[in-house]
Amino acid sequence: MTTGAASETTTPVEHRGWRLLRRALLEQRRGIAFGVAASLVWTAARVAVPRLVQLAIDRSITGDERAWPYAVAVAVAGAVSGVFLGIRRYVAFDNARRVEARYRSRLFAHLQRLHVAFHDVTATGELMSRANTDLQMFQNVVTMVPITVGNALIVLGAVAIMLTISPMLTIVAVAGLPIVNVVGRRFSQKLHPAVMGVQRESAELAGVVEETVSGIRAVKGFGAEDVQRAKLATEADDVRREALRAAHVRARYLPLVELMPNLGLVAVLAYGGWLVIDGGLSVGELVGFNLYVAMLIQPLRMLGMVIAQGQRAVAAGERIAEVLDTDPAITDPARPVALPAHRPGQTGGLRFDGVVFGYRTDAHDPAAPPVLEELDLEIAPGESVALVGPTGCGKSTVARLLPRFYDVEAGSIELDGTDLRHLRLADLRRAVGLVFQETFLFSGSIRDNIGFADPDAPDERIRRAARLAGALDFIEALPAGFDTELGERGLSLSGGQRQRLAIARALVADPRVLLLDDATSAVDPDTEHEIREAMNEVMAGRTTIVIAHRPATIALADRVVVLDEGRIVATGTHAELLASNERYRAILATEAVA
Amino acid sequence: MWLQGGVDDAERLDLDATRAVLRRTARRLRPYRADAWRAFGLLVLWTGTVVAGPVLVGWAVDVGIRPRDGRALTAIVVGYLIVASAGYVLYRWAVVSLARVGENFLRDLRVGVFDRLVRQSMAFHDRNRPGVLVSRMTSDIDSLGELVQFGLLMFTAAALQLIGTIIVLTMLSPMMMLVCLISVPVVAVASRKFQRDSNRAYLAVRDHIGDTLSALQEGISGVRIVQAFAREELEAERFARTNDELYRSHMASVKVAAWYLPVIDMAGTLTTAAAIALGGYLAADGDPSIGTVVAFILLLQRVFEPVQQLSQLFNLVQSATASLSKVFGLLDEEVDIDEPEAPRPLPATGDLELEGVRFAYGDGPDVVADVDLRIADGERIAFVGPTGAGKSTVAKLVARFYDPTGGVVRFGGVDLRDASPAEIRRRVLVVPQEGHLFAGSIGDNIAMASPGAGDDEVWAALRAIGAADRFAAFPDGLATELVDGGGRLSAGERQLVSLARAALADPAVLVLDEATSSLDPAAEHEVEDALEALMAGRTVVVIAHRLSTSERSDRVAVIADGGIAELGTHDDLVAAGGRYAAMFETWSRAGVS
Repeated sequence: MTTGAASETTTPVEHRGWRLLRRALLEQRRGIAFGVAASLVWTAARVAVPRLVQLAIDRSITGDERAWPYAVAVAVAGAVSGVFLGIRRYVAFDNARRVEARYRSRLFAHLQRLHVAFHDVTATGELMSRANTDLQMFQNVVTMVPITVGNALIVLGAVAIMLTISPMLTIVAVAGLPIVNVVGRRFSQKLHPAVMGVQRESAELAGVVEETVSGIRAVKGFGAEDVQRAKLATEADDVRREALRAAHVRARYLPLVELMPNLGLVAVLAYGGWLVIDGGLSVGELVGFNLYVAMLIQPLRMLGMVIAQGQRAVAAGERIAEVLDTDPAITDPARPVALPAHRPGQTGGLRFDGVVFGYRTDAHDPAAPPVLEELDLEIAPGESVALVGPTGCGKSTVARLLPRFYDVEAGSIELDGTDLRHLRLADLRRAVGLVFQETFLFSGSIRDNIGFADPDAPDERIRRAARLAGALDFIEALPAGFDTELGERGLSLSGGQRQRLAIARALVADPRVLLLDDATSAVDPDTEHEIREAMNEVMAGRTTIVIAHRPATIALADRVVVLDEGRIVATGTHAELLASNERYRAILATEAVA
Repeated sequence: MWLQGGVDDAERLDLDATRAVLRRTARRLRPYRADAWRAFGLLVLWTGTVVAGPVLVGWAVDVGIRPRDGRALTAIVVGYLIVASAGYVLYRWAVVSLARVGENFLRDLRVGVFDRLVRQSMAFHDRNRPGVLVSRMTSDIDSLGELVQFGLLMFTAAALQLIGTIIVLTMLSPMMMLVCLISVPVVAVASRKFQRDSNRAYLAVRDHIGDTLSALQEGISGVRIVQAFAREELEAERFARTNDELYRSHMASVKVAAWYLPVIDMAGTLTTAAAIALGGYLAADGDPSIGTVVAFILLLQRVFEPVQQLSQLFNLVQSATASLSKVFGLLDEEVDIDEPEAPRPLPATGDLELEGVRFAYGDGPDVVADVDLRIADGERIAFVGPTGAGKSTVAKLVARFYDPTGGVVRFGGVDLRDASPAEIRRRVLVVPQEGHLFAGSIGDNIAMASPGAGDDEVWAALRAIGAADRFAAFPDGLATELVDGGGRLSAGERQLVSLARAALADPAVLVLDEATSSLDPAAEHEVEDALEALMAGRTVVVIAHRLSTSERSDRVAVIADGGIAELGTHDDLVAAGGRYAAMFETWSRAGVS
């Protein structure tokens, strides 16, 4: 689910990942500088503690000075280190979460503007993972900046102090430690595919659960419980196998990460012990070494991981940048023309002039034949036209060209005498009301959904639109009326009710052109009948294009246009065509009984 | 899987519930107790090797270094080396053992919960939203996976290390240990508060993540509508608000950790300072020895790390317990349709009888009441009526998707409740015409109702409904793999697969839920023919949405308000001038005729 076509492209994209990271860090530079400063203070205080403990042991515990000044010094250093640990942590996470929030909002806003053709070829899940998983990985690296600086300084500071005490012992103590770093990196590299394996198998298992639960009627209807049970058992075994593989990777590396510093401590005791016996080192210094070695483990382990995480963040950044760098293909013209004001019955004239269009989204088949070939069609203001034809004839394409979801390849479409491409998108889309077969309602109240095109619409406009769409009765019958919440956690409506809300939504801005794309084929005949009743008033004074199979719906239109293979093959009234046109009768034949 | 976001009060478990969940977990772990005990034993030994390090260093100071005894020092160094190596082996072994226990537990849980889900009645599935059921099996059990994969190990190791260190500290010098206790109240109070606050913050973050992802998904999948209504900017603003709330909730949770970690860190150094002060004072008298003070200081460094880890892991454990209790809740749901003790065999064919049948969901009002109907062997009956009037409920009762709350449903004279569910399924098949497809090949999809059927039988079934040519034309034939619910097949082809599935299963009674959406005319025609072939010679109950279907049935039952309003042949009912006649009137006016 994470990657797709996006990750396949190579070199130039990689720079985009780095560029995005650099930009994100620059935008957050003040916070990052602050975090690094806090890290510096924290490091200084923390590195001082073992040194103070060493002095305490040498001068007080094995010597004859008083102990308490040293104890106070340790306590003060500890307090400073603690306070700045907190500050560093807060600032580091704040930076990262700010970057995450900023880029998620940017991504969303950008996606809203990207052309429909982009969304056609990009799965929702893939975009979701850009704005979720990828962004998580990306922000992670922002957190790491001050923390990594702190860790690097701890390593440098501790090693520097150790060197002043005994260069030879320092070498003995830390010689094995870089291995921790290497092991940490290897561990990340090895674990990553294993974890991905677990995720992959879990996703497959989820697939079986999902298809079974959502298709429970089919599973039970056909008595296929055992078939699904066996499938699930296989998937569960696969998940276990992958998880155990990951566990074996952990088992190999985690204990090693523990072992290396322990060997360092053994070496310190062996060589340092001899130095103390020979008088070259004090007991306190030996203890100090012990504490420093212990202090180095965590930072080294993290430094090892930082590289792997950085690589993953850059890869995630590439995928995010790929979306952000895609420019919307359908935009406002440089010098937009204004539409004449809407006057019912006199505006809303449409003219298709030699329109050629094809969906050139399939990279494997650039020569796909166009869906519309030289389409010429004129629709008078206020006229209602039914587009009829077999699947794939291009009728839905006409519906998608009208709001400029796509631009024509050749020819032009004019609304009230202006080429669509010369209009501001918002003006055009306000003038054209759309109802699709798949009704998509948003979470929010019924009122919000109807007023989608015009959030400031007064209540009476909303009511009027609901009434025109034949939705008023059922809305008022709901306990909360127009305030009823819809969506995931709200009320679920029937198909017919949803469809009527979608019609009301299209009507609220009083569009001069109304387009119903197969808006009633998914509802049962009773409901369709109800919707049809409402249509007469809706269509009055408004140019209407209806795409439908059912004769009764088609019969609502003043004129029927029959499309086949991207061309108009006949036009006329429903009755005329029925009487004269063989092809038309054939298209309607199987629908005739219902 | 991220849409389940909502966190309810049920997630905040009280102590008793937690205990119950733990007991139950222990019971489910029983088959793996050998591994579990081994893992625990190994971790105890490993803790010993961890704590031994500082003690050995202290001892070396006392008996080797200060007395300048090189041989004693060498002996201790060798001992230390052995202990460290043993630690490596023990830890590695423990990780593997523990993982085996955890993954086996999860596997059993997945299989067990799924088994429960498919055994549950249709009534259960109607009651529960699919999304919620799926999330029990996925996000809830996956969150346990996180615990099993590293949380459990870290939790056990940290707890043992804490206990082990305290024991050794006390043994080394009870006097110094007493002074170190000054930090205990601070640490205890801070940890308690941290747990509570961070749990709350974590739940809030989860809520907000859920909200943000829902908003994200809605915005992306509804992008065409957004653009069609020129709402891009408003939607972007709306999303930014949700997204900012997520940022704020993240920071609230960061704040909780940002003060807690420093407090624990400071408590650590403070205790070291106290040990230095007291050690300096006491060591002057030689008791405790200098080596003991050294070991003490070194060990103190290791007390506070486990405390920190435990506090952080506590949330993981708590949310895992909440997930487990939800999963167990699902396992506890009784299966309301169950196999009778001694099932009565069903005849190969027979009449269907409904006698005084009523049905209600739970304690709700009756959705079906007083239905008496006899469907003769081989008869074709159509159920018509408005949406929600109960026609599909009656159909489901016939197939024993539900048990009636009153009255009885019989097939060939046998009460369906006395028959085995598997046998009912062989006699009475429910065919949702919209054709839900499963991952796998076309062949698998057709054979799913009759496991063991080979390609020949599948082809025979396809031929029987006249659809063999259509699928023979596919390059991979029956082996064509379907992904994502069969997106590669057209709607008509999906329906044909569903019908072939039924033809292969060859039931006596077919309960057919007619598709509501219309296909394009050519496909419609093909499906009609296949359906006609399938229905030949069987008893058919069809939930009809088209007049053509009811017209061709032997009898029509108009179902309204949960009962049979009219019953008779199409012609009789039209002549009678009742509801059906009115429906017929509307429908035919809508048509061409």
